[in-house]
Amino acid sequence: MASDLFQRFAALHVSGDPLILFNAWDAGSAQAVAKAGAKAVATGSASVAMANGFGDGQEVPLEFALANARRIAAAVDLPVTVDFEGAYSDEPAEGARNFAKLAATGAIGCNFEDQIVGGEGLHPIPAQAARIAAARHAVGPDFFINVRTDLFLKAPPETHDEAMLAEAIERAKAYADAGASGFFVPMLGDPGFLRRLCADCPVPVNFMTYPGCPSNAEVAATGVARISHGPFPYMDLMAKFGEMAREAIA
Amino acid sequence: MPANQSQKFETFAALHVPGDPVILYNIWDVGSALAVVKAGARALATGSHPVGDASGFGDAHQVPLDYVFANAGRIAAAVDPLPLTVDFEGAYSTDPDEGGRNVAALKESGAVGCNFEDQLVGGEGVHPLGEQVRRIAAIRDAVGGDFFINARTDLFIKIEQRDDALVDQVIERGKAFAGAGASGFFVPRLADPRQIERIVREVPLPLNVIAFPGAPPKAEWAAAGVARISHGPFPHRALMAQLTEAASAAIN
Repeated sequence: MASDLFQRFAALHVSGDPLILFNAWDAGSAQAVAKAGAKAVATGSASVAMANGFGDGQEVPLEFALANARRIAAAVDLPVTVDFEGAYSDEPAEGARNFAKLAATGAIGCNFEDQIVGGEGLHPIPAQAARIAAARHAVGPDFFINVRTDLFLKAPPETHDEAMLAEAIERAKAYADAGASGFFVPMLGDPGFLRRLCADCPVPVNFMTYPGCPSNAEVAATGVARISHGPFPYMDLMAKFGEMAREAIA
Repeated sequence: MPANQSQKFETFAALHVPGDPVILYNIWDVGSALAVVKAGARALATGSHPVGDASGFGDAHQVPLDYVFANAGRIAAAVDPLPLTVDFEGAYSTDPDEGGRNVAALKESGAVGCNFEDQLVGGEGVHPLGEQVRRIAAIRDAVGGDFFINARTDLFIKIEQRDDALVDQVIERGKAFAGAGASGFFVPRLADPRQIERIVREVPLPLNVIAFPGAPPKAEWAAAGVARISHGPFPHRALMAQLTEAASAAIN
């Protein structure tokens, strides 16, 4: 069952015809997205944190994150991927144990960041590769590890240069060798860079939309295989909710 | 329990003014609560149905008590110093003492009030009046004076013939609930201003009705003497419909 969902989910990653994920945060929002015809459900860690009054950056307690994932997976008949930040540990063996717990919730994939959560900068490539390898060992082949590099997220767009692109490609290759299923580059928005990354990246590339970003069609044309929406669906919806409340209260 | 909780209860109770009702736009988690605070709300109220739907547990005591308390605690902390009331269904027990203990635990989470139903959760019909009175009295005993027990009758939900005879029964319950220690009287599905006027006149408690799509204007209900208007499951449902629409636009 979980294996079938994983196969379905992996097959949805088609370069040039990307899977669109409209990020959810709880069972109710997952069902609302499923009702729209979504082929899969993805959580956003910032959305889960905001909805429940926790800060982002692994401040949602691990037990809460796992229970939430379990409830979402039970609520929809679709593959569920969870934004798992840094797997709640810098240490490969502990991170791997957390991955195994996540896989036991019914989720068939997750995002996994290379930024040092609660610290500065990114994990060096060998350290991150060791974390990915340990996670892969723990969950087996039927789990979509979408490894995220925070290179571009950490730097203002105008500073995104050739050296960063080269490092991103180097990371993508090392992560793929270590067992990553996908490569996620939030806040990389330059279509030329995306095209070159997609050409050299051995695994499907995930683009995240943001206000003012290129259109889905433009992004698809670069070879991207997955487009997600991060915290924006939640933030937009809560703005709407505030308007509805204001109207009712007035 | 926060130090200012008794003060918050006083603030909340004082918002119940017949003819100038407090408007509660029901929420289910911290994020929805903060959005409503930003909109200018003076108090927060959860809906059990929205909490059940959002979390995926379902309504009717399906949300585990621990989750209800933890969720209430997070919301109360996030909206402080605004008061929070929780839709607590049937207090998770038909036994008066156990219900009392559960509401006392809810108060510990930081809520200053709750809804408490007379329907048999998971069963048929409503609790006999004598029994419901004992349940309310036990809750009042357990929580002390500074907690808003919004005693709800489900007669208008359970019985479709919403005629004068049914209003008589509603009034009988409202009076008995007041005698047992209720702070407010809640009649979901009550909508007719004439019936509202009668109930307001005869029941010595602030009256709460639920706004629903197509309901009479709030001014009409206010003029009939309503002291509190809540929105039940409708805000969450409407919002989730908007999410489906937004997702559909993004996906297709």
